[in-house]
Amino acid sequence: MASSRLEKIGTIFSRTTMLLRSGAMKLEDKPLWYDLYVAFPPQLEPRYDRPAPKMEIKQIFYEEDVIRAKYHKRVKNLGAVNLQDTNYQTQTQLFIEAYKHVKSQGALDEEQIIEVAQDIVRDKMKERSGSQKEPVGLVSSFTEATKESNRSTVDIKNIFE
Amino acid sequence: MVPTPIPTRERLDEFKADLLNDTSPEAEILKNPDFFNVHNLFTVRDLFNARVHFGHKEGSLDDRMKPFIFGSRLGHIIFDLDKTAFYLRQALNITAHIAFREGVILMFNRNSQNAHLVEKTAFECGEYSHTRFWRGGIFTNANVQFNAVTRLPDLCIFFNTLNNVLAQHSGVKDSAKMAIPTIGIVDSNCNPNLITYPVPGNDDSPAAIELYCNLFKQAILRGKEKRKEMDAATKTQSEDR
Repeated sequence: MASSRLEKIGTIFSRTTMLLRSGAMKLEDKPLWYDLYVAFPPQLEPRYDRPAPKMEIKQIFYEEDVIRAKYHKRVKNLGAVNLQDTNYQTQTQLFIEAYKHVKSQGALDEEQIIEVAQDIVRDKMKERSGSQKEPVGLVSSFTEATKESNRSTVDIKNIFE
Repeated sequence: MVPTPIPTRERLDEFKADLLNDTSPEAEILKNPDFFNVHNLFTVRDLFNARVHFGHKEGSLDDRMKPFIFGSRLGHIIFDLDKTAFYLRQALNITAHIAFREGVILMFNRNSQNAHLVEKTAFECGEYSHTRFWRGGIFTNANVQFNAVTRLPDLCIFFNTLNNVLAQHSGVKDSAKMAIPTIGIVDSNCNPNLITYPVPGNDDSPAAIELYCNLFKQAILRGKEKRKEMDAATKTQSEDR
């Protein structure tokens, strides 16, 4: 069966079309994908010499980046954050919230807003570390585990039956 | 460089018009924009949760990837997931159609962390995978390499289009040579030009690869199931006669 291996010229579709049209490839040898390509042509022609478009990459910034920068300039010691844990807000998120809240009330200048917001964050973090005492240690983790195993419905005696 | 003028788009429009006038049952299937309902396999939120939007750093960006990119966040490329969703749906549709037409599908991946996952996926949907070193000529010199007339795949799915030294996988070039359509997950440091149906997105994270594997598996299974259904229907029809 005839084929064209010049992958740098045209596309797989154009090459196959030309082979079919010239009769080098018989109509019954038409590849399986050919009709699919006609029905669902790719958005961009898959050709080797398709030029790269001239466009600028947009820089992504948010309004609160300014606040974030101010906070990070003052507080260098932020601690580790678990990115998968979305239950708690991070320290910076708390600060942004507090900052916006304080600013919306007006009456304070920039320095004071930051000071007050930082105090709020500090209080909240203290509160959180107070409430978040998890049971660690051998005895407590063992009792936790037994509680878990009591809850499960698997009957260990008949596990092989 | 200006591309050489090869009039494929116009020809494509002609063929498309022919297809729209055709009323055979096969043409009716092709006229349906989403015959296998692949659009409901995932949502943009799923893509986001699987970390598909993360690209590489700005320095390694391939200029040809620019149209798929949303922007750069402090030096990291972020993909436009709306575009990714569009391209991924088209790729899934093609996959389902190829499976429906009983084509052979070959999955590629050169990232050793995800290799087993891809092999398992291919096994589960009854297709083939190649996740090891690509010996040149597997496609282009197949009849000699395998000592027999060899049927090449009808569709190649690349879960990453780079090999382990970050050059383009030779399979991409060889598929184009042998006129095999390709679907490829292209990250921000890849070249999408030779891939027939590129899908812009993260090709490194196991979470992302797991999502792609799952989606392509489901698309293939839907295609095969439909084929079985239709075969059964025609069989009962011929028996009735």
